[in-house]
Amino acid sequence: MKCYMCALEGKDTDALAICIVCGMGICKDHLIHEKVEIWEGSFPFPSKKHEKPLPRFLCEWCYEAFQSG
Amino acid sequence: MISLKKRFLAELIGTFFLVYIGAGAAVITLMISGGATPPNPFNIGIGTLGGLGDWLAIGLAFGLTVTVLIYAIGHISGCHINPAVTLGLWATKKFPSNEVIPYIVAQLIGASIASFAFAASVGMQAVTVGGLGATTPFEGIGYFQAILVEIIGTFLLMMVIMGSAVDKRAAPGFAGIAIGFTVAGVITTIGNITGASINPARTFGPYLADLILGGNNLWNYFPIYVIGPIVGAVLAAFIYDYISSEDVLYKKEVIREREQ
Repeated sequence: MKCYMCALEGKDTDALAICIVCGMGICKDHLIHEKVEIWEGSFPFPSKKHEKPLPRFLCEWCYEAFQSG
Repeated sequence: MISLKKRFLAELIGTFFLVYIGAGAAVITLMISGGATPPNPFNIGIGTLGGLGDWLAIGLAFGLTVTVLIYAIGHISGCHINPAVTLGLWATKKFPSNEVIPYIVAQLIGASIASFAFAASVGMQAVTVGGLGATTPFEGIGYFQAILVEIIGTFLLMMVIMGSAVDKRAAPGFAGIAIGFTVAGVITTIGNITGASINPARTFGPYLADLILGGNNLWNYFPIYVIGPIVGAVLAAFIYDYISSEDVLYKKEVIREREQ
C-alpha cells in the first residue's frame, strides 16, 4: 500500500500505517501517533483512568477532525 | 482516579446545590403562601397554592437538580450527595470503606453551608416562615410511620440507582433522568407525610442552620431521617443484587433448557 498523502504531493512512498478512522495508508512522515486517555466508569462511581492510554495512528485530516472535537 | 480531596469537594458542592435549590423551593413555597389560611391542620402552607402541584414543584426542584448534578459530577465523585446512597453502595461492597466517612462529612458540610447560604440569600423569613425547608412528620403522622415512609421512599430511590446506573446491563446515559424523575415522584407523594427527605444530609443542613439562626429545634425528629433513608437504601441495594443476579443452573436444568 502506498501513502495517499505522498501521492497527492506527487511522490511514491510505501505506507507504514493505516489511519484507524478513515483507513488511509500513510507513511512515517504523514502519520500522527496519538495516545488517547481512556476513562472508565461513571455515576455512582468515580471514573478511573486506564493505566495505559490507547495508541492510535491517524492521518492528518482525521487528526484535525479529532482535535476539533 | 481523581484524588479523594477533589471528590470530597465535588460531593460538598453537589449536596450544596441539592439543598440550596431543593429545600429552597420548599422555603419559597411557604413564604409565597404565607398569610393564607390552610384548610386543615395537615396543610402547613405547601399545598395551599396548588394542592399537590405545590409538592410537584418542590419535587421537580429536587429532581431536576439531582439530574443535572449526576451529569455534572457523576464521573468525578459518583455524585452520591446522600449518605444513604453512599452507605447502600458500601454495604453491598461497591464502595470502599475508607472513603465512606469523607463522603458523608462532605455531604453534611455541603448541606449545612447551603442552608446558611439560603438564609443569607433570602433573609430571616427563610428561617422563621420557611424553616429553611427542614423536614418533620406532618399532623397525625407518628414517629414509626414516618420512618416507614422514609424507608419506602429511599428504597425506591436506591432501587432505581442500582437498576439504572450500577447494573452493567442498564441502558447507558439515562440514569440521571431516571433518578431525577424518581426523586420528583417520591417527593410529590410523601412530601406531605414526612417532608420527603430520603437523604440524611438534606435534613441535617436545615436542622443545624435553624438551630443556630434561632429557628425551631427539630433534632428530636432527626433519627427518622437517619434510620429511614439508611435502612431503605441498604435494603434496596441487597434486594436488587439478589433479584438481578443470574441463577446458577444445575446440570439437569441446563440439559432441559437446551432441549427446549
